[in-house]
Amino acid sequence: MAGSRGDERAWIRGAQSGSVPDLEALFRHHWPRAYRAAYLVVHDSAAAEDIAQEAFLAAVRGLDRFDRRRPFGPWLHRIVVNRAIDWSRSRALRRESSDARLGLVAAPAPPDGEHAQTLAAALADLSPEHRAVIVMRHLLEYTPGEIAEALGLPRGTVNSRLRRGLDELAGKLDEELQ
Amino acid sequence: MSRWDEPVPGEREGGDRTWSVVRDAFEERIRVPHKRDWRPIAIAAAVGAVIAGAVTPPGHAVLGSLRDAVRGERNAAPALLSLPSPHSRLLVQSVEGAWVVQSDGSKRLLRGYRNATWSPHGLYLAAVHGNELRALEPNGAVHWSIGRAGAIRNPHWSFDGYRIAYFAGPTLRVIYGDGTHDRALTRDARPGVSAWQPASHALAYLNRAGNIVIRNVDQPLHFAVIRTRLTPRQLQWTRDGRLLVATGSHGIGVFAQRGPQQRRIDTGVGTIETSALSPDGKHLAFIETRAGQSSLQATGTTTGPTREIFNGAGIFSNVVWAPDGRSVLLDWSSADQWLFIHSLSVEKVDAVSNISADFGKEPSLVGWCCP
Repeated sequence: MAGSRGDERAWIRGAQSGSVPDLEALFRHHWPRAYRAAYLVVHDSAAAEDIAQEAFLAAVRGLDRFDRRRPFGPWLHRIVVNRAIDWSRSRALRRESSDARLGLVAAPAPPDGEHAQTLAAALADLSPEHRAVIVMRHLLEYTPGEIAEALGLPRGTVNSRLRRGLDELAGKLDEELQ
Repeated sequence: MSRWDEPVPGEREGGDRTWSVVRDAFEERIRVPHKRDWRPIAIAAAVGAVIAGAVTPPGHAVLGSLRDAVRGERNAAPALLSLPSPHSRLLVQSVEGAWVVQSDGSKRLLRGYRNATWSPHGLYLAAVHGNELRALEPNGAVHWSIGRAGAIRNPHWSFDGYRIAYFAGPTLRVIYGDGTHDRALTRDARPGVSAWQPASHALAYLNRAGNIVIRNVDQPLHFAVIRTRLTPRQLQWTRDGRLLVATGSHGIGVFAQRGPQQRRIDTGVGTIETSALSPDGKHLAFIETRAGQSSLQATGTTTGPTREIFNGAGIFSNVVWAPDGRSVLLDWSSADQWLFIHSLSVEKVDAVSNISADFGKEPSLVGWCCP
């Protein structure tokens, strides 16, 4: 994915001065990982879209106050992953059926990579907390220290969740993740 | 390519949908620059004007200008003589009861009824009388009634006419359109907010947590939840059942039936009183109040700029669309007037005054029904 840190600063500066193309560049650059992170935690495309969308709307609302010297991604991902964890926890507390069983018309699932589906299915067996740290470490490529800060956890907890989560995943996947 | 780099289900389509929502929110943010909040000054000025009116001769002129501010449209008709949409009927609620107004301007009072609502084709009404929910004809002939211990409110007919949802106390209940099979659906609902999805028996309502629940009332264990922070006061489906419009005090969310938000309309410091979807579902009219002024605004349901259609002093309490979608009726309660606004380009406005003299205390528009 193209887009250097300098590009990002320029997009934010342009968006802050009202440029739609700059906002779109920023959005297109960050959408895939934001959505993917949400999806791999909640395992529900509608919820993932909602969560990622809310994060971007929060970004738009806070754009004027955003410090351009800071990277945009970590700020966005912190919102996405925390909301995804909250959503997964609340869903676990209630009995909920799929929309299709309501008799509503569902959008057809788009074609997606076989590997991605395997990964998503394997992650779905983990707890939301374990999913979140694995997604942040291996999809978003944050260090354990950065994950600890984003999720408000002790670093040791992040490390142990990573270790246990990866142990569980290892049995479900064909190749090593690390 | 590693597993982490592959797209996951919904990623591309969701990106396109979300970009549309984000762009709209961004453009709204540009169009509405931050303004100084004049409300404290306006309140102080109003208080000052009242005091001036009471104690000084020049103050009489100030009071006169305040009266003018909510006088409403000039050249208003003295009474409602007819409806612009032929063969249609209005439903109006006042303290005295529910009024059915025919297109020729004739009207009938259904005394003592409250919370009246049209059946899908306007052949019947569901309304509350005392502690009873009743189904009746517009001429007042009662077909059936059912009593409940809790206060009954907000009956709402499904689009095929076979189900009626209503609240009894804190419980959301559903009864068949013929008055049988009454049953509780849930107690986890905020009274007063519900909307049937067209062509189904799925009911959208607000749970106590403030999220939207969509539940098939015939299979009540099957439901979906749309999370939102809008705290909706009103839910509406488009006629094709594909979009759900949730109206909160400070924003309107347009959701796809499976949950993702398609559009968000935010107000700055204003408060959204109500909104109304056009019969074809393509347009959304809504009322925003701000600092003692009200404005009727309109926008496309899924996209498009927001335009102010009409503004005035005081309160606009409701807006309803004509069944043919060619005009809207605006209830300017502060001016005791109704305004028939013909097309959203405001080609013509017909005002009717003395509404409370016609309908009794606290008249409010409920619905404009069914050619």
